[in-house]
Amino acid sequence: MNKYILHILACVFFFLCTLSSCKHSEGEYHSITDKIEAESKNYHGTISSEALLEGVQTIEIIEDEHTFLIPERKSQIKSYACTECHSKPLIEMQNNEDVKKAHWDIKLAHADLNTMNCITCHNGEDMNNLKSLTGNSIDFDRSYKLCSQCHTKQFDDWKGGAHGKKIAGWTPPRASMTCVNCHNPHKPGFESRWPVRFNTQKVKERE
Amino acid sequence: MSDHNNKKWFSLNLGNGKKEAKGSCGCGKTSGGCGSHTNNHQMSDAQFDAAVDASIGQEKHKDGFDQVFDVKMDRRTAFRQLTASLLIGAGAVSSSCSVVVDDEAKEKAQIDWEEQFKGNYKLMTDNEKKSTVDRLMRSYELRKGKSINMSAANAEEDVLFGYAFNISKCQGYMDCVSACVEENNQDRNSQMQYIRIHEMKDGQGFNFNEADDNYYHEVPAEGHFYMGTQCFHCDNPPCVDVCPVQATWREDDGLVVIDYDWCVGCRYCMAACPYDGRRFNWSTPEVPENEINKNQHYLGNRMRKKGVMEKCTFCVQRSRAGKNPACVDACPTGARIFGNLLDPNSTIRWVLENKKVFRLKEDLGTEPKFWYFMD
Repeated sequence: MNKYILHILACVFFFLCTLSSCKHSEGEYHSITDKIEAESKNYHGTISSEALLEGVQTIEIIEDEHTFLIPERKSQIKSYACTECHSKPLIEMQNNEDVKKAHWDIKLAHADLNTMNCITCHNGEDMNNLKSLTGNSIDFDRSYKLCSQCHTKQFDDWKGGAHGKKIAGWTPPRASMTCVNCHNPHKPGFESRWPVRFNTQKVKERE
Repeated sequence: MSDHNNKKWFSLNLGNGKKEAKGSCGCGKTSGGCGSHTNNHQMSDAQFDAAVDASIGQEKHKDGFDQVFDVKMDRRTAFRQLTASLLIGAGAVSSSCSVVVDDEAKEKAQIDWEEQFKGNYKLMTDNEKKSTVDRLMRSYELRKGKSINMSAANAEEDVLFGYAFNISKCQGYMDCVSACVEENNQDRNSQMQYIRIHEMKDGQGFNFNEADDNYYHEVPAEGHFYMGTQCFHCDNPPCVDVCPVQATWREDDGLVVIDYDWCVGCRYCMAACPYDGRRFNWSTPEVPENEINKNQHYLGNRMRKKGVMEKCTFCVQRSRAGKNPACVDACPTGARIFGNLLDPNSTIRWVLENKKVFRLKEDLGTEPKFWYFMD
């Protein structure tokens, strides 16, 4: 009889142990991923970054399931609209000695010359717009469409938010920099430079 | 004075009675409760003797160290006696100087007293938090003649902060380190830095023994990659468990924060952190007046003291206002991504769900909210 009671007690004890080890206390989860999943089910955001975006001209874009804002570009280009100078066909301007040389500071360092030159992206017939590889017109505000023709992986990451910086803050609505805000389209690579800081105290401490 | 009784610390009256007429007083509160609204501050001889008796009555026959050490008492008595001794000191100062000392000095003394006996920030009600930061702002104004803005903003609902770091994007420029130091008013003398950028050799993985976190040459260096570490704001933070005075805790939005005025400087947390996320003020932190960031938060970048811990707070003064931390804003490569883990549409969630992410020392079960990923 005693054995039977002991057996039951042991069972109850084991059961309680299993119960208590599952959830340590209310609101605790096995891992942070469980916590994120559980607590984001009833998500309703409260703060917005609209105030932080004041004064930034943006346009809304929709790519796949992603909708977000990017900075408006045309007002930021110094000499837009291009047709203010490019009033004649390009060939005439290039051979005209009276016209001042322009764009002397642009040296193309983007892929190699077998792959790209000026007219891969620019259209001599329509200087106010860019052009796709197939000759379709692309607005300067949506220049990412041009980049995404080759840089498909980066484009996917950018749409999702893994590539590129955000403007304003972390709160919705999302506003991201577009390609040309960080990369010079004629020379898109980042340059090497010196770090902005050197900790001399750390050197002393580790001597 | 009804809420006077609800206060978690004792308030001293240093005779700011005159200010009552204007409807405000030294502690910065406009309505009662700071304890400085009575005029009865002079101590009679009899009261003085009684206070002496209350303070050291039993020890009159003892001498020297015995007075202090050879006494049996419980915590309550100890605190009562300590308060009584302080009362004597403060009362004496108040009664002897009250004629010549100006209001400003009295207000300073009042603030100092309130500061000395304020409670742990974690236990404060919203009103207490508000009056505490108001007091600190007033104190700064009285001492430096310049005003600062200090926030006591609480965690927003439905927010859990998370961070992702792209190790194939970081170029090692250290713009983040610089921005962090400026934003968070870190000590310039000891060159304290929350963020460390490690230069690692390609092909050796995360080998911290071989990594250099204080390089100075043109970057990115050939054959190297860069990764940054800072406080990871663990969801199961070991630093919080070891704190003997509960001066550090995890807020509801996931930020692991420190009450600098509650910290006793034992540095247990520094030893417990597996990521070298915490820093200690070995000397009084000094920041040139013109470089002080005046947009502050009680739990964030307000000025610290000597002998207390500090660390990255994901720039609580910025993040709780909807902005990105200073390091995220400063990064020229976009390697740093910050956001709300509970928002299914946030970019941080997209990174966690679509990139191959990992964390440092995941096997420890600390659950850091700081993920690394590659392109």
